[in-house]
Amino acid sequence: MRRTPLRLASTLAAAALLGLAGCGGDDSEDSGGDTAGKTGGTATAYYTSFPDYLDPALTYTAEGWQAMWTVYTPLVTYAHVEGVEGAKLIPGLAEALPEVSDDGKTYTLKLRDGLTYSDGTQVKASDAEHAIKRVLNLESGGSGFFQGIEGAEDYLEAGKASADISGIETDDATGEITYKLVEPDGTFPFALSMLFAAPVPSDTPFSNQTKNPPPGVGAFKITEVDGTRGFTMAKNAEFPEIEGVPAAKLDTLEVTVVKEARRQGQDILDNKVDYIVDPPIGEQLREIRTAAKDRFSEHTTLSTYFMFLNTREAPFDKKEVRQAVNYGLNKPALARLFSGLLAPSCNFLPPEMQGYEKLEPCPYGDPNAEPDLAKARQLIKDAGAEGAKVTVWGNDEDETREVTTAFADQLSAIGLDAKPRIVSGEVYFSTIGNEKTKAQAGFTNWFGDFPHPANFLFLMDGNSIQPTNNVNFSNVDDPEINDTLAEIGQNPDLAAVASQYAALDKRVVEEAYIAPYGNRKLTLVTSDRMAFDDIVWHPLFLADFSTFALKE
Amino acid sequence: MAIVALAAGAPLYAEHVANTTPERNNLTGKIVVDGETRDVVSLDGIPVGPTWQREYLLGADANGRDVAVRLLYAARNSLFIGLTAALITTLLGIALGLLAGYYRGATDWVISRAMDVLWAVPVLLLGVALGVALTLGGLKIGPLEIRGGSLWIPALIIGVVSVVYLARPLRGEVLRLREQEFVEAARAQGASGPRIMVSEILPNILTTVLVFFPLLVANAVLLEAALSFLGAGVQEPAPSWGLMIGSGIKVLITQPALTIAPGVMLVLSVLSLNVVGEAVREAINPRARVRLEQ
Amino acid sequence: MARFIIRRLLGMLLVLFAVSVIVFAIFNVIPNGAPENRMAGKQSTPQQIEAIRREWGFDQSVLTQYVKTMEKLLTGKNFISYNQQRPVYDELKAGLPRTVSLAIGAAILWLVAGVALGVYSALRAGSKADFAINVLAIIGISVPVFWLGALVNHYLGYKLGWFPNGGYVPISEGGLWEWAYHLFMPWTVLSILFIGVYSRVLRSTILDTLDEDFVRTARAKGLSERRVVTHHVLRTSLAPIVTLWGLDFALVVTGGAILTETVFDIQGIGSYYADSVGQLDVPPVMAVTMLGAVVIVVVNTLVDIAYAALDPRVRLS
Repeated sequence: MRRTPLRLASTLAAAALLGLAGCGGDDSEDSGGDTAGKTGGTATAYYTSFPDYLDPALTYTAEGWQAMWTVYTPLVTYAHVEGVEGAKLIPGLAEALPEVSDDGKTYTLKLRDGLTYSDGTQVKASDAEHAIKRVLNLESGGSGFFQGIEGAEDYLEAGKASADISGIETDDATGEITYKLVEPDGTFPFALSMLFAAPVPSDTPFSNQTKNPPPGVGAFKITEVDGTRGFTMAKNAEFPEIEGVPAAKLDTLEVTVVKEARRQGQDILDNKVDYIVDPPIGEQLREIRTAAKDRFSEHTTLSTYFMFLNTREAPFDKKEVRQAVNYGLNKPALARLFSGLLAPSCNFLPPEMQGYEKLEPCPYGDPNAEPDLAKARQLIKDAGAEGAKVTVWGNDEDETREVTTAFADQLSAIGLDAKPRIVSGEVYFSTIGNEKTKAQAGFTNWFGDFPHPANFLFLMDGNSIQPTNNVNFSNVDDPEINDTLAEIGQNPDLAAVASQYAALDKRVVEEAYIAPYGNRKLTLVTSDRMAFDDIVWHPLFLADFSTFALKE
Repeated sequence: MAIVALAAGAPLYAEHVANTTPERNNLTGKIVVDGETRDVVSLDGIPVGPTWQREYLLGADANGRDVAVRLLYAARNSLFIGLTAALITTLLGIALGLLAGYYRGATDWVISRAMDVLWAVPVLLLGVALGVALTLGGLKIGPLEIRGGSLWIPALIIGVVSVVYLARPLRGEVLRLREQEFVEAARAQGASGPRIMVSEILPNILTTVLVFFPLLVANAVLLEAALSFLGAGVQEPAPSWGLMIGSGIKVLITQPALTIAPGVMLVLSVLSLNVVGEAVREAINPRARVRLEQ
Repeated sequence: MARFIIRRLLGMLLVLFAVSVIVFAIFNVIPNGAPENRMAGKQSTPQQIEAIRREWGFDQSVLTQYVKTMEKLLTGKNFISYNQQRPVYDELKAGLPRTVSLAIGAAILWLVAGVALGVYSALRAGSKADFAINVLAIIGISVPVFWLGALVNHYLGYKLGWFPNGGYVPISEGGLWEWAYHLFMPWTVLSILFIGVYSRVLRSTILDTLDEDFVRTARAKGLSERRVVTHHVLRTSLAPIVTLWGLDFALVVTGGAILTETVFDIQGIGSYYADSVGQLDVPPVMAVTMLGAVVIVVVNTLVDIAYAALDPRVRLS
């Protein structure tokens, strides 16, 4: 999962993979394009914190991806359109989508001819392997997606940057790139669509290049990085025409880091800044919704918010107790803590994704109604868990603190003795992911790395449990889930196995391994200088910078 | 001045007036204000402002908790930490001051260098570092174990970090006193070092301690507020003024009361403590220059 | 004298060493979770974690790690933070001008205001004005800096728009005026505490001095009150104040203004420290702490040596 930045923000709108009908839940305006934006000009933007990295091999947060997507185009990418269509894979730097061998282990692509980076250098096939090497060698958060390539583990263990990855074969003369996997993996094309795999020049050093990002093939290039205070993106004159990947309209986009949410909200209202990444808060959100409604829209994202319930620790080792929590969880209350930017849901998977089938009726009550506390209390009593001490973990980022406090309160309301425990955001996930912590329950969320249910159900897979940096916080080890996942995970035809994924979703909810409560919504708000209707909200990469333009 | 001091004592007993716990969330509840039914926390997350009624006198916070109630409980926590920390500082300060001042030589050198070390790191920086580390992992010294969320952790940290303020002046006093005649006399009578320290010197430095004490408490309360504000002090859900100010700042636009109220309480309490300190100083030793040196 | 200086210098080095050990210990000995887990990120495999452990040397003994960290800190080579591997000294260099700007402006303000008020109230001791100043001073030391700062920033900056809503503008970007304009509120807020302290200290120092023999002598000699005050009294009273000022300035400039920086979004080394501590990021924490300790200890030692040079009795203790 991409890490959510300090003030939430980025969301990956989940979109159905391949032609799932209906895109509901999206309040965005139609991209009518009647206010045609002009080409040229400079726009300004605020980020709440500097992106984790400005290095395609390392960046793994929503804001990082949002900016970098328009700078580094991978071999395979997504269409720059909204909704379901935007989740479809299209060829990027490759001529066509990868050819998959019959055994599902070999992927072949051919690089387009005549591509150049933003500094004029030729793009070579071997650059693709160099990119993956950097990801592995720099211990990037994205390494896990490529360790299934033959020879990747050896490369990692050898620790030498210049070594070869046996499973990647490239031919600079023909432009052919072949990836050999150890096991078939239906999600591999999506891994290739991540920025991690975007080709960069082969002389890019094996170190964090945030201060001086390497050239890429994209609508923009990053021209200036001012410490951690901001960066500048300029139109890439060398960008060739690639179908489905538009060129930039703006000449420059200046991004500044402004930590204070109030200042962001005020400046966007006063039109002092052209775009803010994070949703405005509190009263400012209210004001923007009314006063600036022609330059404001809300979008649901490819995310799921839930409380994990550690099945290895009492009292959550008992199914009745976990079910009680689900009965007692007050979803409308939690939605208020997100300033209304949460769509309550009882599924584990987010909507608008192939493999999602809305659970009707919700096994634990309507997520939009008040919870059945009586039933919850009864279940707790019957399970003998009344008064059981529970520590509810959370971190200090934004609304997480308040949500965690609310959780603890709700657990106490149904008969447990719950207290919240807040730790710093930076250490939170490694703390609860450490089996020594024995975290019983706590806050977590998951933003999809790409629109595929396996990316979410991975969290419920018994095989993904590890002693440190575990992400299966509930320690779900259900043979039925493990076996089904192993089987359908290899199938590159998602449509064929979609209903099986949906069945797994249902099982997770029925077994109450977690207590899900909704999907996050994000906002798009700009100044009145911008041609708002032209802006595309991509399900995965959010507001598309290459569609930003000033009004005529 | 005495009036101010008395008025500030009010928070101590006022918590009995509270009618609900400071932790009870109330996100979807409704209350009636001036005949109109309103959400305690609106659908877009904005809590209700001061109602000037018995319930939600000063309004609610983001989780729907009663601000006035939390303020009162926060008073209890902040004052507990302030007093405990000041006591720890006093005990340690007396001990170290006595040892360093009386024995001099190597003991003094070691203790003075230790004080230098403590002084070399700005109080807040050290406090934050200790606060973050200890809150995360708790404290384990031999059989003694304190959980990460306990109030004793900030109390201990502030108490230790503030020792320098007291130990140095006390050391100076002891240095001066040991040359006095009555100490000579006691030594001539064959009394041992510790005996002299406790029965002869200690009573004489107590006045200094007494003058310093209210200032130490004031300092501790402010320090606790700062640490909690930065996240290194009192932890949720326990209320603390510093913590409330920290979360209140996020909603200053809509709910200024959430920030103003705890701040006012802080100022009043610290002010009254400082005033008491002044009064004590005037009464005991009008000429002495007593100040917490940075 | 030389022996005294050497002893103090040795003491200074020892203190610095002790500080480095203590800070390092706080984050490495007290259980707080292995940094390699945090650095590996959310979705990571055991191999990744191992690789990080080896590369950063977390698998070695605490002693070795301490030595290595100090080596990197002192030489500046390869001294990067755990979090996002940013070179620590670059960050410090970027943050220092901001903190120094904040510190200098505030320090001058509180010195001038503190002295002025202190002198005024001393000379008018017992009057209503004196009482008023005293009350204001006591209030000044009772107000939490971060609370006042947040409110001032909000009402004067955000609501009324008299001042900018926080932030820092380097002189190179906005010119002298913008720079000062943005710092005006932080300067004022930060000074209030010190003004309160200094005015009261100066007042009592002056009052004490006024009773001293040499002042009576000066008066007896027929010197005007004004001359007595400015020439004799002030000069003696100001000495401790100036020393104090030096130490307080050292405190603020090395990160002691953490609260003001946070509230006004100045992003100097104080906030750098606060952020790093929250992330349990040891290298920046060590760097800022050591920087602070060095400055404070050096200033302290110099002051001690100066006093010893002036007053022989001190040397013998």
